[in-house]
Amino acid sequence: MGRSKERILGMSVSLIIVFGLIALFSASYQNIRVAQNIFYDQLFFAGLGIGLLLFLRRFDYRRFTDAAYIFYGVNVALLLAVLLIGRHALGARRWFEVAGVSFQPSELMKLSLIFLLARYWSGLRERFAYGARNPVQAFWRDLLFPFFLTAVPMFFVFKQPDLGTSLLMFGIFFIMAYAAGVQKRHLSGFLGFCLAMIPVAWKFLKSYQKDRLLVFLNPNIDPLGAGYTIIQSKIAIGSGQIFGKGWLSGTQNQLNFLPERHTDFIFSVIGEEWGLLGTWGLATLYFILIWNLFRLAEQTDAPLPRLLITGIASIWALQVIINIGMVMGLFPIVGITLPLVSYGRTSFLMYLMTIGIVLNICRKQTY
Amino acid sequence: MRVKIIRLIVAGFFILIAGDLFYGQAIQGRFYYQQSLNNRVRVISLNGRRGRILDRNGIVLAENRTAFQLTLTPQAMGDTDAVFDFLSGILRVPADKLLTRYRSLKTADFAPVLMASDITRAAAMAVEENKFRFPELMVEEGFRRVYPFAESCGHVVGYVGKANPARLDQMKDYGYTAESFVGYLGAEEFYDAQLRGVDGGVQVEVNSRGRQVALLGRKDPESGNDITLTVNSRLQQSAMQALGENRGAAIVMDRRTGEILALASAPSFDPNAFSAAAGAPAIQEYFQDRDAPLLNRAVNGVFPPGSVFKVVAATAALDLGKISPTMNFNCPGFLDLGGTRFGCAHVHGTQNLTEAIVHSCNVYFFHLGLILKPENLYRYGRGFGLGQLTRVDLPYEKPGRLPRPRDRLLNGRRWYPGDTLNTVIGQGDVLATPLQLTRLMATVANEGIIVQPHILAKIGDKAVAQFHLARRLKVHSDTWPLLKTALRRTVADVSGTAHAVDIPGVEISGKTGTAQSGGGAHHAWFVGYSQGTKTEIVITVFLEHGGSSQNACVAARQILLTAQQEGIL
Repeated sequence: MGRSKERILGMSVSLIIVFGLIALFSASYQNIRVAQNIFYDQLFFAGLGIGLLLFLRRFDYRRFTDAAYIFYGVNVALLLAVLLIGRHALGARRWFEVAGVSFQPSELMKLSLIFLLARYWSGLRERFAYGARNPVQAFWRDLLFPFFLTAVPMFFVFKQPDLGTSLLMFGIFFIMAYAAGVQKRHLSGFLGFCLAMIPVAWKFLKSYQKDRLLVFLNPNIDPLGAGYTIIQSKIAIGSGQIFGKGWLSGTQNQLNFLPERHTDFIFSVIGEEWGLLGTWGLATLYFILIWNLFRLAEQTDAPLPRLLITGIASIWALQVIINIGMVMGLFPIVGITLPLVSYGRTSFLMYLMTIGIVLNICRKQTY
Repeated sequence: MRVKIIRLIVAGFFILIAGDLFYGQAIQGRFYYQQSLNNRVRVISLNGRRGRILDRNGIVLAENRTAFQLTLTPQAMGDTDAVFDFLSGILRVPADKLLTRYRSLKTADFAPVLMASDITRAAAMAVEENKFRFPELMVEEGFRRVYPFAESCGHVVGYVGKANPARLDQMKDYGYTAESFVGYLGAEEFYDAQLRGVDGGVQVEVNSRGRQVALLGRKDPESGNDITLTVNSRLQQSAMQALGENRGAAIVMDRRTGEILALASAPSFDPNAFSAAAGAPAIQEYFQDRDAPLLNRAVNGVFPPGSVFKVVAATAALDLGKISPTMNFNCPGFLDLGGTRFGCAHVHGTQNLTEAIVHSCNVYFFHLGLILKPENLYRYGRGFGLGQLTRVDLPYEKPGRLPRPRDRLLNGRRWYPGDTLNTVIGQGDVLATPLQLTRLMATVANEGIIVQPHILAKIGDKAVAQFHLARRLKVHSDTWPLLKTALRRTVADVSGTAHAVDIPGVEISGKTGTAQSGGGAHHAWFVGYSQGTKTEIVITVFLEHGGSSQNACVAARQILLTAQQEGIL
């Protein structure tokens, strides 16, 4: 541990940012549908985010965990508020305008949730050492209560509607619960229950969400409607072949065949213009980052930072795997972005904050 | 420990993704690359302009008018209300009707919807001017075929339409596609290859809205040739008028050259109806009408020629020396043969050949038929070109039928003497097209020279000579003058059956015909020719179930009078 790991994290994050900016420049190059100014916007936020990262690197992360419940409360309140008075865009209410800058509370919620859950489970360990007097009480304390804390923001995000982020929160919850040491029989019972609830949950989905899930099973159901995106995305990535069509030369991208190419489908742009070299390159960078985050968590003994890093690593892993899998047609399209590459101000800042916090934890342990 | 498991699971997913990327990009990459090409490269065909069709005096029978098509691309649609308000304004159609049309025609988001196929120039300009307000609207330039003479030239000129599957099958080797316009019927069909331009095209790169972003290649279209027909449009109109409400056909042909001056078939159709939107109600009516307006009766219809066939019998008898012109037969109004009574129109009394032609006496020709033998009727009929195609340059010509005892026997049926009697007066199994009888009469008038009927005069500015065999029907030299005198008297004599056609100052000869046809009134024929006129012509009028041949004579007279006014005679 120590300096070398910090350097690896810093290098991989920097390269991912550069990679993302190059791709975003290409995605907005034609200025059709995707306006060119989003590139400069992202560039600005990259600068801002790196500043924030450097600041957080020296800012004691425990102040966040100390205030975890307050962050959580405020963030849930923001989610509720965004549902009531948020800005409509693309058929959903996800954004807030704060002093002329739009901001997306659900992105920040992922981080607040990680703070909260890390704090909760690490606190449990200190006070009770996982020894419960009866199983029901243990089940409630170890799993159901934190799930309830997770379910509240999940529900609000789901109502926006943003199925992807909502499911992502569940993923974070489950991985952290497992990492925190919750008993396996509790976890498996709980997971079984959740799977059994899927048919019920189906009823609450919006019709376009159902379409997307069905189209995932067979994209040719509706090649001009919901299936269009995934077909175009697969064509884009595949047509890049090994060496790609070259920067700014991807026809799927430049001719506007790829919808949402600056956000959810930015990876398709990379696949088309940079080929297998590009996709493997970027995936490798993510892999190095995530692998090292998990390694870092394993090497940390204190429960709180250990859980915190695990949470952060798992959100990175989930986002990257789901996003790439989604544009490749391996997973349904659920609107999960690619960290630090997809356009998005709040999420950009959020991901750099997570790295800042991890670096801060490293510093604490080094000195 | 547990975090390590998570880490390994995550690593497993990364391997899965890397594998899938390798499969998609390295292994299937070529396939997807081709798909991305298909996505962006479109070939837009540029139609070569179809040649015009002109009459012999250069009057336009068919030409192209620039037509503007208006399309709307759903994907690019901005403010629906604003677009439809705008459209309603320029097209002068209520917005809700347009919206209904749009909804019923819309297929996919990226497929442009055809909102109007022939908008005015002003409307097209308005759309172009508002291009930036309404990027979803596009105007494309196309051609529309117009036929100024509408119905009166329908059968000669034909019409154009999208290639149907049957035609496409025949023509696809010649570069026709399902989108090509091809000629149907008349000159449009027969001379399609000359009229048709060579389609060019541009290869363009398009974006997801189908908008062109780059030009990859271009092949210029070539215009088709104009063709000039031998038809005189005034005479053609007159022929059409003369047919009136009847079903039938009228043909005027230059008997020296075979140039067809007029070729009318009634009822006719308006070729303009086919250039309008496909599936227009008028087209359906044409196809379903029991009077078959799309049938060109002049060349595609076969009918019993009736007494016109007597010309064949007379030629045969004279040439073979079976009778002398002074020989008489008595006509008591009928002839009994084999227990059947064969009737005549009147009791004509004693008749020589000339009189029998002038009065169209059946009994005289019954006797002639019995003397001649059916095989000779067949031989001379063939000599005049009956039972064979005239090879006129119009599509779907029918050969008609000329009966022959031998063919009968091959079919296991006997030839009775009564069949000879039926044949000699152009009944029974004899069937001919009006054009065949026109040529038959021309052969008589030309004293044996058989001309090739045709409608084509020029392709582009080059006159086209007609290929023909310069056939000659060789008969004894006395035959023609005798026959022609009789035919002249048929018109000139007050008692002649075609006296109604007699026009002062013009020497018209001819023969009438009245043919029984199963049920309904008789078919009425007049087939005649002019002698010593500026243009020597043959004229045929055929009225299907037209009753008396007098009706045909009256129609022929009307056409001849127009020909006289036009300075043709």
